[in-house]
Amino acid sequence: MALFGELFLSDVIRKPVFDPKGDIIGRVKDVIVVKGDPLPEISAVIVQRKGHLYLIRWLSINIFNKRIISSFLYADALEDYDRLKEDLLAVRDILDKQIVDANGAKVVRVNDIKLEGYNGTAMLVAVDVGMRGILRRLGVENRSEDILRFFNSELSYNLISWNYMQPLRPELKAITLTVPRQMLSELHPADLAELISQVSREEGTTLFKDLDLETAAEALSELKPEKQAEMINSIDTEKAADILEEMQPDEAADVLSDLPTEKAKEILEAIDKEEAEDIQELLGHEEDTAGGLMTNIFIAYPPDITVAEAIQRFKKDAEDIEAVYYIYIIDELERLIGVTSLRDLLLADQNLKLSDIMIAKIKSVSPETDDMVVAEIISKYNIVALPVVDSDNILLGIVSVDDVIDIILPPAAKRGRRKV
Amino acid sequence: MNRWKTFLVFLAVMGPGIITANIDNDASGITTYSVAGARFGYDLLWTLIPTTIALVVIQEMCGRMGVVTGKGLADLIRENYGIKAAFFMMVGLFIANFGNTVADFAGWAASMEILGINKYIAVPIGALAIWILVVKGSYRFVEKVLLFACLIYVGYIISGIMAKPDWAVVFTSTVTPNMRWDPEYIYLSIGIIGTTITPWMQFYLQSSIAEKGIKKEDYKASRMDVIIGCSITDIISFFIIVTCATVLFPNGIMVNEASEAALALRPFAGDYASLIFALSLANASILGAIIVPLATAYYICEAMGWEAGVNKSFGEAPQFMVIYTIMIVAGALVVLIPGAPLVLLMVLSAVINGLILPFVLVYVIRLINKPRIMGEFVNSRGYNIVSWSTVAAVALLTVLFVFATLFPVA
Repeated sequence: MALFGELFLSDVIRKPVFDPKGDIIGRVKDVIVVKGDPLPEISAVIVQRKGHLYLIRWLSINIFNKRIISSFLYADALEDYDRLKEDLLAVRDILDKQIVDANGAKVVRVNDIKLEGYNGTAMLVAVDVGMRGILRRLGVENRSEDILRFFNSELSYNLISWNYMQPLRPELKAITLTVPRQMLSELHPADLAELISQVSREEGTTLFKDLDLETAAEALSELKPEKQAEMINSIDTEKAADILEEMQPDEAADVLSDLPTEKAKEILEAIDKEEAEDIQELLGHEEDTAGGLMTNIFIAYPPDITVAEAIQRFKKDAEDIEAVYYIYIIDELERLIGVTSLRDLLLADQNLKLSDIMIAKIKSVSPETDDMVVAEIISKYNIVALPVVDSDNILLGIVSVDDVIDIILPPAAKRGRRKV
Repeated sequence: MNRWKTFLVFLAVMGPGIITANIDNDASGITTYSVAGARFGYDLLWTLIPTTIALVVIQEMCGRMGVVTGKGLADLIRENYGIKAAFFMMVGLFIANFGNTVADFAGWAASMEILGINKYIAVPIGALAIWILVVKGSYRFVEKVLLFACLIYVGYIISGIMAKPDWAVVFTSTVTPNMRWDPEYIYLSIGIIGTTITPWMQFYLQSSIAEKGIKKEDYKASRMDVIIGCSITDIISFFIIVTCATVLFPNGIMVNEASEAALALRPFAGDYASLIFALSLANASILGAIIVPLATAYYICEAMGWEAGVNKSFGEAPQFMVIYTIMIVAGALVVLIPGAPLVLLMVLSAVINGLILPFVLVYVIRLINKPRIMGEFVNSRGYNIVSWSTVAAVALLTVLFVFATLFPVA
């Protein structure tokens, strides 16, 4: 029973370690952390003496608290420790590094680590990310408390339980739990994207690789183009293809268009054939035109079916589509001849034909139209989606209002991390 | 075709190096160059060449770290040397940069007075404009404003040419080292290095490169950006010294301030030269006042792990907002309150800059030699010899500068 109660890592770092006779055998340099049940635990203490590192296994530790650290071993019985070993070290690999607080959806820095004795082991229960941790590391926690007490206020604890900690470095994966990952996938994709763009490239990709396909796809579409390319480049082609399949074809096309041609081709070949065709079609358009903005997923029916039939078909067809605002009416040559809103369709007499309820005078643009013009039309006529047609009036796709909003008001994660 | 592609890549990554280097010529830098030119003519021009080399060597390493790690220098120091190192570094940086901000507001006030605008109007408006630009402006807009402001530095080149120096003499003085055992001469020559190589530049450059997300493959273009930027800084310094040396030195006019230099130019070089000089000073000052407080608030929050960002509310990022606001509001107030210890603050800022620079440089070299962080991008052995000797020389000179500032011989 080496550790009772709780303790902060900074309380023991650089403290002397005594042998059974009371001689100092070294000073605490770091601790090795391994996966434990239920939380990660300390497997050994690394001590430094005259520039050399030695390892003391946890079983050889006698007392471990903030005043005394002692071992059953004598100085000559210590094992050498090789600094190049791939162990996970708390001070080197966790302290002062950034992590994601999955509970608060924030990137924070680890100021200290809280340990707790449990069944003879020392478990890592939480990380301190607050002011207290900073003051403790600077050695002024108690004095600051006194000063604040004088002003009748208190220092609050700001601990994140290990259960909510999502690491940003690959080496930490071994000791993390699956809970934070689940919590991350429940976050809004825009928040996730912001987390990814707040940290360095490597850390961002670590976080991204950890997401499940669906979450990854959602987060990816919220990132700015350079970041998207970085993320896709960091994963293998197969997984990239799977993620892109989860995305809407217009968004997938946006991602691919920012990749080097070779890489884009490779991924496109790995994507499911039908999806790949949709994406390919969209890739042909310039990015800042209606063609570049549009999606080719929309609902279009012939004019001679009844409202009842249209509703029936709609229930089946709309399943895979993110959002539907209008139903387009096309003739046998796929030329756009009319439109009806979902509302009008639901309220209309079930026996009428689509051609009876449709509005035939319809605003549309060509694929080459500038994106700002598209935005102006959408704003001027108060429509939610604008159809894009070719010179023969054949319906190619639609630009919806949220595609346009992103141009006018880019979300935070697309704007870049900071403003300096 | 291939050359074009290289050029396009360069344009895409251009920015951080050039912007950093230009803001380096802030109000205190311009003052030093003006004083140097007016007091010793062309004699100090030669110091610019070694200064540029040292600047390039140091900034290149920071740029490389930014590209490879995607993290700022404050981040790396905190992660590798712990919280104490980072904390004291940040306290030092805060005080030094507060001094820089005050110097910039003072430069703004002085140059506006030359243009006939009272400082009690100019300073509050300037401070408010900075606040609005940063808090309400988008990143792209701010970068455009900054790049445009960098163009205004050309004003110094114009006023240098308008001064009609004897170019042959200027050229010879630039390439001939000229050492003199005059305390003031030595002080000013070290001062040129001290104001050109300042700690915040390393932090700023590395962060903005990390920010831009420049890829390792594009590192060569980024290095070009850093080298060009450093050269531009010293070309501007060169023209400031030349202007004051040509016009003021032969007439025996001594100046203590950049704004005095602008005024003194008028009778000899004409209204336009004087006006351009003053306008360029105003531009440099306001540019410094935009960047320095903002950058400082960012590094501190980055190192301490606090939420940061100008688009965050006070409740979301309290520390960030407090630091940023204090720098701007207090900086502007110090300039406006009569009898505020302006000179003392300047001296303090110079001393602290000089004291933390050696530490920053040693951290930079030690970090860049860690394979764990830099992988194959660590310094080569040859480059290490160059950088260690540069760092040793710069560190020694800045410590001398600190002594000379604290115990003036004259």
